[in-house]
Amino acid sequence: MAYIPNEILQAMVDHAKDDLPNEACGMILIGRSDRQMTVHRVTNTAASPYRYEMSPLEMMKLEQKRDSENLDLFAIYHSHVASAAYPSPTDVRMAFFPPGETDNEPMFPDTYYVLVSLENNKPDVRAFHIKKHGEISEESIESEN
Amino acid sequence: MTVNVTSVIEKLVGGQRSFESVGDSVKSLIENINEAYPGFSDQILEEGGELRRFVNIYLNDEDIRYLDGLNTELTDDDTVSILPALAGGE
Ligand SMILES: [Zn+2]
Repeated sequence: MAYIPNEILQAMVDHAKDDLPNEACGMILIGRSDRQMTVHRVTNTAASPYRYEMSPLEMMKLEQKRDSENLDLFAIYHSHVASAAYPSPTDVRMAFFPPGETDNEPMFPDTYYVLVSLENNKPDVRAFHIKKHGEISEESIESEN
Repeated sequence: MTVNVTSVIEKLVGGQRSFESVGDSVKSLIENINEAYPGFSDQILEEGGELRRFVNIYLNDEDIRYLDGLNTELTDDDTVSILPALAGGE
């Protein structure tokens, strides 16, 4: 189960819509002590409806912010503009370093991969863990306190 | 010079996010890091010696792919960031 407040879900959906026709991507950071979540939009340097690549420099700045402000990386999110909120084969491949080396540990084993789909009128948001051997495990999202 | 790394690349250099190293080009910097952390360059470079597609190296704020690639010259005052791509698709 992934606890994600409604305003955080809404912020990711808003971002996905703002970046149409391209995929949007970003990170949710969470305070280690207060468990406060913040959504951080990251530039999709691929600027494409079919793929995303997070700006590496913006990512690095967010990692430095995590260190200095005592935050954890709670989730990595991106949008699918015309497909379901489910990790694609590319999403799974790219969760490993080097890509596709699914026998390695995934890059972010404890971080949720959140997918925002704009395929239908009503946006769909779902959360997953991507595990060793490329196994996808869905975590139901809970928004109530 | 200062070298910044993140996430998986951090694990290749003993879990530190920032460290000091030397080199007069990106290539020699990678060789020097590899001396200290064997196996490092195998993860960063292709077998032919080119930078792997999913690894990004920045000299200060500039992608070395838009400079002189691995031959980009460095000085001690530079900051080099070696960062994995975080990417995916539909
Ligand atoms: Zn995707």
